[in-house]
Amino acid sequence: MKHIDEIETMVRPLARVAPGRHGGSPSGAGARTLLASITSEDPGTAVAAPRRAWRYGPRRLVLGLAAAAVVATGVVVGPGLLQDGHGVSAAYAVTRDADGIVYIEVRDFRDAAGLQKRLRDLGVPAIVDYVPADKKCGEPRATYVRDFPPGLYSVPENIPGERTGWRMRIDTKLFKPGQTFVWTITDLPGGGGGTSTILMHDPVAPCVLVPDDTPKMKVVDSSSRRATRKGGSLAGYRVDEKTVGEVLPEIEKRGLKATYLIMAIPPGNPGGFGELRRQDTPVGDDWIVWEAEEDKGAPGVVRLLVTDKRYDRNPVYGGPRDDVIRD
Amino acid sequence: MDDPRLARFEAVYRETYGQITAYAVRRCDSPQDAADIVAETFTVAWRRIGELPPGEEAVLWLYGVARNVLANHRRGEVRRQARSVELDAEMADLYGAAPDSGVALTAIAEVFRSLPDDDRELLSLVAWEGLDRHQIATALGVSRNAVRIRLHRARRRFSRALAEAGVRPTPESRLVPAGRSL
Repeated sequence: MKHIDEIETMVRPLARVAPGRHGGSPSGAGARTLLASITSEDPGTAVAAPRRAWRYGPRRLVLGLAAAAVVATGVVVGPGLLQDGHGVSAAYAVTRDADGIVYIEVRDFRDAAGLQKRLRDLGVPAIVDYVPADKKCGEPRATYVRDFPPGLYSVPENIPGERTGWRMRIDTKLFKPGQTFVWTITDLPGGGGGTSTILMHDPVAPCVLVPDDTPKMKVVDSSSRRATRKGGSLAGYRVDEKTVGEVLPEIEKRGLKATYLIMAIPPGNPGGFGELRRQDTPVGDDWIVWEAEEDKGAPGVVRLLVTDKRYDRNPVYGGPRDDVIRD
Repeated sequence: MDDPRLARFEAVYRETYGQITAYAVRRCDSPQDAADIVAETFTVAWRRIGELPPGEEAVLWLYGVARNVLANHRRGEVRRQARSVELDAEMADLYGAAPDSGVALTAIAEVFRSLPDDDRELLSLVAWEGLDRHQIATALGVSRNAVRIRLHRARRRFSRALAEAGVRPTPESRLVPAGRSL
């Protein structure tokens, strides 16, 4: 292949406006007219990207690997959400600004009633239920809101500088009368925790605990870990966003065996994934790998988290792996 | 009452207008198309002002928007903007001085145009907008690793296509079609 600089040298002169130079000037008549015409319209409330709402059906949206990982709309799962908050300031912090945006940081979910009251005081029509492990709220509790307003809430994300907990933002102006934001907070075996946040139409029935016999959430447990972590069997090697064909040689080189977890991606790829199946039989070389994990009890075997096509962002992390994992 | 969003938008507009117009003009065959892309990109930015990132990431974000607008435009999905004739004229001025149209450059330009859209866009973002991998990742909303891999492949495909077309660089990096003596 040609040297990188050489390619650039060839491409640069093709630019109609030379690299480094500006096109038009913002003080030109056309630019000023355009600005005036654009800003004469109200920017409106379409403040957020059209993030499609994903209500989980039979298969729950789960988060695979990331410790403080991110799921846009369905479920947030992360180890440690319910752990004792040593050294953290509070179980949760909820504040509201003048525009009606509510900022929430949650580190410990067990005070569901307190969190619910705080949310309601600040204009979020929320119901928060705490559900122990192996239980769930009997469904249906209400009908789900289908025309989910874009921008109602942000993707839950890490609290900078903290290992556990997450934060999100809710725009209280976008709730319509008769809607309730239903949060269910769950203990997960293995010490993790999760929450689902679903917008429902009133009335919402109270949570009646029933055994959780739905297909099990893929729990972020201590026996299943990222194979690419430091000390993992693929340490130092990035698999995310590569094709299976690219990754397999490295796996063979390290004397490992590959198995596959076929991921189910919800519509709109909001972040998070379901599990279609696990298999030992190879998938196509052109399938896309998003992460690799391994089980404590099965040394020498790595499980590739794969899809049969490329998505615009990594479903495991709801975006670039670099945003979540610092190697 | 002054709307802080308006002040912010106007500031970003002033700061990035030159770069976004250059971006559009470099990629559109006609001044009218470029004007459409510019107008639609900033219209989208205004509608999504709440998402506009601060600082120098704003222009990267706008490149990302412009990229989508351009893709929609190529699919015929962008409505013609009601724009001023001045804007069309200003864009047209930028088309006056055509890039160097030597034989070799024409050959390279042809090969370049034959590349898949994504390849061409990546190579352009590097060579024309001068973005590094990290900035491209931000603009396109993909990981740095993905940019690295895709850029590598784009360069490889471009090299291969050049070779197939019989275009090779000279040692001085001046470009002549293969077979011509220096």
